Amino acid sequence: MNESAERARNIIENYNGKKIRIMEVCGTHTHEIFRQGIRKLLPHNIQLISGPGCPVCVTPVSFIDEAVWLSENKHATICTFGDLMRVPGTEKSMLDVRRDGGKVQIVYTPLDAEKYAEENPSEKVVFLSVGFETTTPASCLAVRNAAKAGLDNFSILTANKTMDHAYPLLADSTDAYLYPGHVQAIMGTAICKRLLKSGISGVVAGFTAAELLTAIATCVTLLQDDKPFFCNCYPRVVTDDGSPAARVLMQKYMEPIDAEWRGIGMIPGSGLKLRNEFSQFDARLMFDIPIMHGHSNPACRCGEILRGSVLPSECPLFGKVCTPEHPIGACMVSREGTCSAYYQYGRN
Amino acid sequence: MCVGLPARVVRISKGTALVDASGAKRNVSAELLDSVEPGDYVMVHAGIAIAKITSDDNNEADAVMDKLEGAAATI
Repeated sequence: MNESAERARNIIENYNGKKIRIMEVCGTHTHEIFRQGIRKLLPHNIQLISGPGCPVCVTPVSFIDEAVWLSENKHATICTFGDLMRVPGTEKSMLDVRRDGGKVQIVYTPLDAEKYAEENPSEKVVFLSVGFETTTPASCLAVRNAAKAGLDNFSILTANKTMDHAYPLLADSTDAYLYPGHVQAIMGTAICKRLLKSGISGVVAGFTAAELLTAIATCVTLLQDDKPFFCNCYPRVVTDDGSPAARVLMQKYMEPIDAEWRGIGMIPGSGLKLRNEFSQFDARLMFDIPIMHGHSNPACRCGEILRGSVLPSECPLFGKVCTPEHPIGACMVSREGTCSAYYQYGRN
Repeated sequence: MCVGLPARVVRISKGTALVDASGAKRNVSAELLDSVEPGDYVMVHAGIAIAKITSDDNNEADAVMDKLEGAAATI
């Protein structure tokens, strides 16, 4: 660690001011903060809260139920990121579907799902399209490629979300945000500056130890002034303008809709669906999927954990019946989930 | 799925980059980046390069802390 990161570490370790709360929005931040031992450096008056930035964790139960229905009733080949495999639906996960003989392929990128559909024209291929602004452009490219190739056996089931509507909703839970570096690499810093005008503070943070330490030290220092602030602490990747090309792509293929966030509820305008001109690639329309009303385990407290109002250890299921091997809630399924990180590194 | 992977561009052709991430090589889409050349470092998400990486994190830490200490002096 270089001398600047050491200075940041000293600011954090020697902080003895008022109690402050900092919410890391991104699941990878949660994981890296634990993995790099940064939580152990924090004095008692700095509280790090894990927010709802893991796309797997906020994907609603009904979405998994739709995917299960597609496999069981339409014999679709489901292509999915591996993280979604063990997320529980009302009755089954995709892992259960595969055990029961359904065809479920794990892919690294939606582009691989589109390629699979090209190579297997006799199969009806559906990609489970979850993710924030970092992964949505890849789904759009897959749809573009499918249109270019004239495919009629490829579609996506969308549960894509955008972060900008979630920040104001959760602002009372924190004094400052660690904004997710890679979402901001796409979206730029305009949203952060708009939030600043509303009195919401935050810094864009990267993912290495030096980046996390300097971002947290920036929050700790600037919170002493009792004035809203914004700082881009990840300038080697995040520019003010972000990626205009990615935003143009998303705007061409997707449009905003109201979206349910698992454990949080409906957030108006926070979801994305394919625009009407690309509806032939929308799995809900292609297969006329009935409306699903998913039900999660009533004892699961993932929702409160995602809002930062309780710790995983306050959930009665955590570490007992809900473990990474047998997850009950989505926050335990994903490696980036808060419960998974607490289970793996802390349990406190 | 949501983890960004820093990688070095080895070769680029028709919007596709062969990248090397700590020895693991794979093709990713580079069509969202304005200009990218072999030797550049990029951030890869779900099979696409989403941004160029313009310096290492030590230089970045120096810049962030210098700026912070300048701001703190006025608090």
